[in-house]
Amino acid sequence: MAMTPRTASHAARELVFDDAFLHKLEQLELLARKIFRGLLRGERTTSRRGRGLEFSDFRHYWPGDDFRHIDWNIFSRLDQLFLKLHASEEDVTLHLIVDTSASMAFGEPSKFDHARRLAAALGYIALNNLDRVAVSAFAETLGAGFPPTKSRQHLARLLAYLANLTCAGSTRFGTALRDFAARTRSPGLVILISDLLGLGQTQDGIEALRHGGHDVVVIQLLAEAEIEPPLDGALQLVDAETGEELEVTVDLELRRRYQQRLEQQLQEIESFCRRRGVEYFRASTAIGFEDVVLKYLRQGTHLR
Amino acid sequence: MIQLAYPLALLSLLAIPLLLALHLLRPRRRRVVLSTITLWQAALRDREGGHGFRRLLRNLSLLLLLAAALVLGLALAGPQWLTSAADQGDAVLVLDVSASMQTRSGVRGTRFDQALAEAASIVDALPRNGRMLVMTSGRKALLRSGFETDRGALRRVLSQLRPGDEAGRPREALALALSLVRGRNDARIYFLTDGAFEPDVDPGSPDVVFRVVGAPARNVAITRFDLRQERADEDRFQVLLGVRNYTDSPMTVPASASLDGRELFTRTLEVAPKSEQTLVLPFAGRALGQAIARIDLNDDLAADNQAFATVNVRESLRVLLLSRGNFYLESVLQALPNTEVVMREGPGGEDIAALARSHDVVVFDGIAAPELPPGNFLLVDTVAPGLPFSDAGRVTQPSILGSGPSALMRNVDLAAVRIDEARRVQLDPRTSALQRLFWSAQTDLALALIDESRKLVYLGFDLAESNLPRQAAFPLFVSQTLEWLRPRGEERLANHVEAGSTLSLYVPVGEAQVTVHGPSGQEQTLQAKDGAAFFDATAAAGIYRYGAGDTTRLFAVSLADARESDVNRRWTPGERRQQAEAARSGAQSLLPLWPYLLMAAMVLLVLEWCVWAGSRSNA
Repeated sequence: MAMTPRTASHAARELVFDDAFLHKLEQLELLARKIFRGLLRGERTTSRRGRGLEFSDFRHYWPGDDFRHIDWNIFSRLDQLFLKLHASEEDVTLHLIVDTSASMAFGEPSKFDHARRLAAALGYIALNNLDRVAVSAFAETLGAGFPPTKSRQHLARLLAYLANLTCAGSTRFGTALRDFAARTRSPGLVILISDLLGLGQTQDGIEALRHGGHDVVVIQLLAEAEIEPPLDGALQLVDAETGEELEVTVDLELRRRYQQRLEQQLQEIESFCRRRGVEYFRASTAIGFEDVVLKYLRQGTHLR
Repeated sequence: MIQLAYPLALLSLLAIPLLLALHLLRPRRRRVVLSTITLWQAALRDREGGHGFRRLLRNLSLLLLLAAALVLGLALAGPQWLTSAADQGDAVLVLDVSASMQTRSGVRGTRFDQALAEAASIVDALPRNGRMLVMTSGRKALLRSGFETDRGALRRVLSQLRPGDEAGRPREALALALSLVRGRNDARIYFLTDGAFEPDVDPGSPDVVFRVVGAPARNVAITRFDLRQERADEDRFQVLLGVRNYTDSPMTVPASASLDGRELFTRTLEVAPKSEQTLVLPFAGRALGQAIARIDLNDDLAADNQAFATVNVRESLRVLLLSRGNFYLESVLQALPNTEVVMREGPGGEDIAALARSHDVVVFDGIAAPELPPGNFLLVDTVAPGLPFSDAGRVTQPSILGSGPSALMRNVDLAAVRIDEARRVQLDPRTSALQRLFWSAQTDLALALIDESRKLVYLGFDLAESNLPRQAAFPLFVSQTLEWLRPRGEERLANHVEAGSTLSLYVPVGEAQVTVHGPSGQEQTLQAKDGAAFFDATAAAGIYRYGAGDTTRLFAVSLADARESDVNRRWTPGERRQQAEAARSGAQSLLPLWPYLLMAAMVLLVLEWCVWAGSRSNA
């Protein structure tokens, strides 16, 4: 994403969290639900079966399996070959993908600010748990990202990176997320923060992430004005991303139909995510991002 | 092709940019930037059945407004559609029904049959919405229908037409037809004729299309037939017969004539080509009754092979002169031919009404006149009661200042007339039945009155007190007065008229109608007015009989027209006609389009309003 003249320090100050919030963040533990192939062993026990000490499960032997993991005790009793599986304790790379399209600037506070603070909080949590954190921003295409970083010392750089993002252009989910999946060599936990109001192919993009081996969490941010539009009368609506105009006179019925359409779209996305095993959260900008992090995300399986 | 009558009106199309500017400058909606309008578009689609339809409505409103302005601008320019005149419009079908159309043509038919067939084809070729009027050209031009679109009705009209024995006057018919289509470029006149008329008949109008039927024909005709009583001897009369040979070879023509069934003569005439032979034969006896002349010849036109004449009973004019003595008046009355004068000093004890019935004219000369009953009267120096003028004293030496345009004053020169004393009369200003014959500064000196039952001439001075009796004007005035009071023109010795002409039939005083019997027995009753009835159903040649009251008279109708009997085509399409036809073939009619454009503009404006109202309710 293009960098603005705004200074990173100024932006970072805007993103500074109070001590109480930071303390709460430290209580959270980021957990990857899927098996990650970490570059270094970390402080979390993953569900990946491997060389760890903690027993995980048994399974039938298949030709090619390591003989060293055969449970000979079972073989002697059952005359069948079983492998003894152990959970592998590995580090996890958290990929934060932030939507920086023009539509994210909508809302008060803007969805974009909300997304950046959310990304900062999640990044802070990950770094605090010695996980790798990478940040990517996308709109029409995937922009230059924040490289995977493990040390807490890089928190300031992460915040500066987020502070320097600007939102512009239209959203091309399919293009950007397929590009991300192709570029990323290490699968990890991908948290996509977006309003998902772009020009379609949202599902294709999420599907591309899944095929890339990532564990995907989708956080859909909506401005309160998008959920309950305070519009009335004769208006000329302008699409922030495409510039397209629509002359319309908004009345109660039209608002009702808009909300029906919005609800239908949200349901479609949620349903898709559920079918694909993708964690899906929906949040309004009217809710403070602290509450989103502390309450809503904890209801999922990736924070505990 | 479209022409513009007022091209400058196209400047009004400048209103279109103005409309566009107004459209662009209309109050703008509040602009709101949203993250996406996709959902709003979907919501609108849900409500309106499609975003495209709504945008179409919005743009449609402007488009309709612009289209209405465009159409109105074009309408102001007066566009006219140029189209072939032959493809549309009304037609007038003029059918020649003159005697020459009876000429044989083809195997069995006549020229008229051919013309009817041609007329039927023209009716069949009439454009779908085209109208046609049928008229005939005989001695008179007659409209036989109005402008009809019903082809069946037109065919029925045609089927009832027959050629007459009359001489044609196509110039009048074409003039009438042209007047019917004047100012209409899309109208056409079809003249179905045999062309047996002079070339100058052609008006040269490109609107007239000549359809000439018939082939060259052989014809010999009776062109004149008359009986004339010899003045010197009332027991002798002469018969005049003219026979003309229109062929190129000499013809031997057996001719005969009869009077009331009595053969007058039978002669064989040798008539040279293109020439006429005339017979004048004296006969003894009184000429009275029906006379018929015939030529026994098998030529192509039979209608002119016979001619008719009638001689009615010669009646004298009975004049009752009530006077104490008037030398001048007595002398002039007795000098008039065929006039019987009865003189009395006054009516005595007799009923004046009975006297009026038994005399054609009653003259009151200087004696008091009673209230006048129905009849014909001449009042000299007296005024009767009950008239629209009354006695108002006397004037001396009135000078005649002027005379009116009356038949009674025809050729009557009053310049040298001097009057010593005259009656002064006062006219009833409410009446319109009076004619002023001549007058002085002080009073009217002579008047004529005609009402429903009376004819009256008033002379307001004593003839002895003026020099009028010694003027040439006096006998002329008296003669014309008697002729006006009691017309006798129909009682000429040979009473015959040309076929197709209008005849004025004398009706005796007190009779309201006259019945006419034609040569084929058909009867027609006419209403009489002012002592006359007009009869114009004289298309058929023959002897006609008419009666009113207890009197019956005859008159004869004959073709007897040398030009009409010349049945060979004399008119040919000259250079002028060819130019007219060429102009007609390329002629185009201009159909004004502005009413349609105005209508379209109104429809567009109504549609625009509907769209605007619809978009307002939807938005």
